Amino acid sequence: MTSHQYIVVSPPTDAISALKFSPDPSSARIVVSSWDKNVYLYDLRDENGRIGEGKLLQKFEHCAPVLDVCFGENENEIYTAGLDWDVRKIDLNTSEQTVLSSHEAGVRHVVYSREHNIVISASWDSTLHIHQPDAGSNPDSLPITVPLPSKPFSISATATKLIVAMASRALHIYDLKALALLTAQADGTAPGGNRVEVEPWQRRESSLKFMTRAVACMPDDAGYASSSIEGRVAVEWFDPSPESQARKYAFKCHRQTAEDGVDVVYPVNALAFHPVFGTFASGGGDGVVALWDGISKRRIRQYQKYQHSVSAVAFSASGQHLAIAVSPGFEDGHDEVPEGTVKIYVRELGETEAKGKGAK
Amino acid sequence: MGKKRRGPSLEELLDRPWCYYCERDFDDLKILISHQKAKHFKCDNCNRRLNTAGGLSVHLSQVHKEQLTQVHNALPNRMGVDVEIFGMEGIPADVLKAHQQRVASQFQQAELDRQHATGNPPSGVSSSGGQPAKKPKLEPVSDLKKRLAEHKARRAEALAGGSSGDVTPSSAVQSTPTPSGYAQSPQIAAAQQYSYPQPYGAPPAAVTPHFSQTGSPVYSSYSPVGGQQVPGASPYTPSGYPSPFPAGLPAQPPVSYGAPPFPQQQPPQSDNRFTGLPAATNLPQRPAFAVPSVNAHEMQQMHMGHVPTTPAVSGYSNGDSAQPTEHVSTPVDNQISGAASDVASKAESISKSKKEKTKPAVRMIYNDDTFSPEEKMAQLPRYAYVPDQSTQTALSELPGNAVVGAIQESDTVIDPAH
Repeated sequence: MTSHQYIVVSPPTDAISALKFSPDPSSARIVVSSWDKNVYLYDLRDENGRIGEGKLLQKFEHCAPVLDVCFGENENEIYTAGLDWDVRKIDLNTSEQTVLSSHEAGVRHVVYSREHNIVISASWDSTLHIHQPDAGSNPDSLPITVPLPSKPFSISATATKLIVAMASRALHIYDLKALALLTAQADGTAPGGNRVEVEPWQRRESSLKFMTRAVACMPDDAGYASSSIEGRVAVEWFDPSPESQARKYAFKCHRQTAEDGVDVVYPVNALAFHPVFGTFASGGGDGVVALWDGISKRRIRQYQKYQHSVSAVAFSASGQHLAIAVSPGFEDGHDEVPEGTVKIYVRELGETEAKGKGAK
Repeated sequence: MGKKRRGPSLEELLDRPWCYYCERDFDDLKILISHQKAKHFKCDNCNRRLNTAGGLSVHLSQVHKEQLTQVHNALPNRMGVDVEIFGMEGIPADVLKAHQQRVASQFQQAELDRQHATGNPPSGVSSSGGQPAKKPKLEPVSDLKKRLAEHKARRAEALAGGSSGDVTPSSAVQSTPTPSGYAQSPQIAAAQQYSYPQPYGAPPAAVTPHFSQTGSPVYSSYSPVGGQQVPGASPYTPSGYPSPFPAGLPAQPPVSYGAPPFPQQQPPQSDNRFTGLPAATNLPQRPAFAVPSVNAHEMQQMHMGHVPTTPAVSGYSNGDSAQPTEHVSTPVDNQISGAASDVASKAESISKSKKEKTKPAVRMIYNDDTFSPEEKMAQLPRYAYVPDQSTQTALSELPGNAVVGAIQESDTVIDPAH
């Protein structure tokens, strides 16, 4: 019943911004983006196919820190976003890099929607760019720009929806189908006609009083979880009916009581849903990763504290592994990053380790 | 005579309660039971701690409608639900036996390791798997007498002629299984002494060969340990065996013995080298003294063990000099763990002090509601990114456009740039 934990070899040299598993359930590849301006591709399997500390397959240098990375249609292509304002597509086989579009500020997030075959990037210039994967190589395929009311801090997509969590506690839920259609229509139109005001499917105010740190959608497309800098996680449902909305709740976590009785509140940096069980993991500035059952409102387990802040968590597509990116100095933004403090842990989950406990 | 300080004896180890499921051992049965409740019999669903696997099974099926298939956190071969364990009760006999064997072999291994750790030359002879349990050993009076007589004779000779001054170093250097020099008396005595299994009673017959093998190679490096085993070296030495030390330590001033018995005993026998039992007059009381609680091995160490390593140290101070080492050796672990926890607590206190900056009641680690940590980090000089010229010039016009709302232009400008 004990779960094994591995430390991935040759980790990035600076803080980790994002970590994603391959969409292929049989694969054990992960991509990691880092403030050291590189994107790392690891394969956790060794020669015998056993998951372990893995090996670094490739490294893609960017001209500025990379803030997010995601896999594309298959595990041979990835999209990256970073402080160089660009959204890139990288073909892992050929190492060819294509710039899909450029924002006017650092690009915080990029997600790929398999169902609609579009790439969405969110930048601090308060826009979303929605690309078709051939954008950049095909001159006819131009991204559309969707203006947002505030800076986006986190985005997450389900099969049908895109959630954008922004500053000022704003939260938009877009219908991906509409976005995909608009993007398709934008093809071939004259450049300049691709800034599109899109009315979101829902506008919401965050249930959390403080800055939203992360959002993550349930794999069953029913709702999402969001976290804030103030040690709190909210779970909400898409369904606008009052019954569903009444189910939403928030809870405190990632806090510690100091010796003087003061509650020390850490930001909840990362959220990730388990693809099979629908439970989710949260990673906080306190270095703790906890598994939660959002339905029965229970904590399933909490792992032993890591030495530094958890900056990203991700479940493998099979749900058998949980990767945890640990980097120091993420919250206060000015700490040096001493060598050897950035680590990627991979936990082998027991069969029921991440399974919800069921309502009581 | 106080307890030996070297740590638990084999019996004590065997007596310790241990957990059937994970083979961990505990100080106390109560702790074992609470361990089992917490680790092996806890309900994952509601955190209730049951007393037994059966109890958990019933609880799961009744309360949560689940089936208990295996015991949590158990060793792979101990996951069975059908064995009813509570504390130490219910452990199958074969498992119990296997555990005891394991403990015993571990104990011996630990002994062996310790011998190596303390610098013992890894002689092939002594590969007999460490020491068996320490037991109080009673030497037959005849043996004692003989040995004592020999020791006394030896020392007398040493004091008289100082001849053993030559002998000692050579024997010290040798540290072979049969050091000849000063070892004559103790060694021979020891050899004789160890050849009688009967008097030791408790230890198995195997002990004897073991000692005869390991005895001598071990003692030199083993000495600190030997010393520490006998915290009461001072009471012990003068009373029972004052002679062995001087025999081995001609250089040391008798003063260091400090104990009055020494001078008393010594003079009469000065001429009685190898004469068997002239010292018998002194002897009868000895067995009654410290002897019983010292096993043959220690005894041997007491006699000769310290000499090679610390020739300058007096026999009396053997106990003392050994004690510090003992203090070093056990507290080293404590210090290490202590240091580790120190580091941990320090790290914690550092991170806590960081938190002190924010308000008292609730301290938020990150307290800026308008700029995300990433934005702040992005502003650090080391992450600064200057877009290439073409883009930059184009972009410098953009903010104005954006504000006005003439947004179409911005993308027009940017996209061609790529």
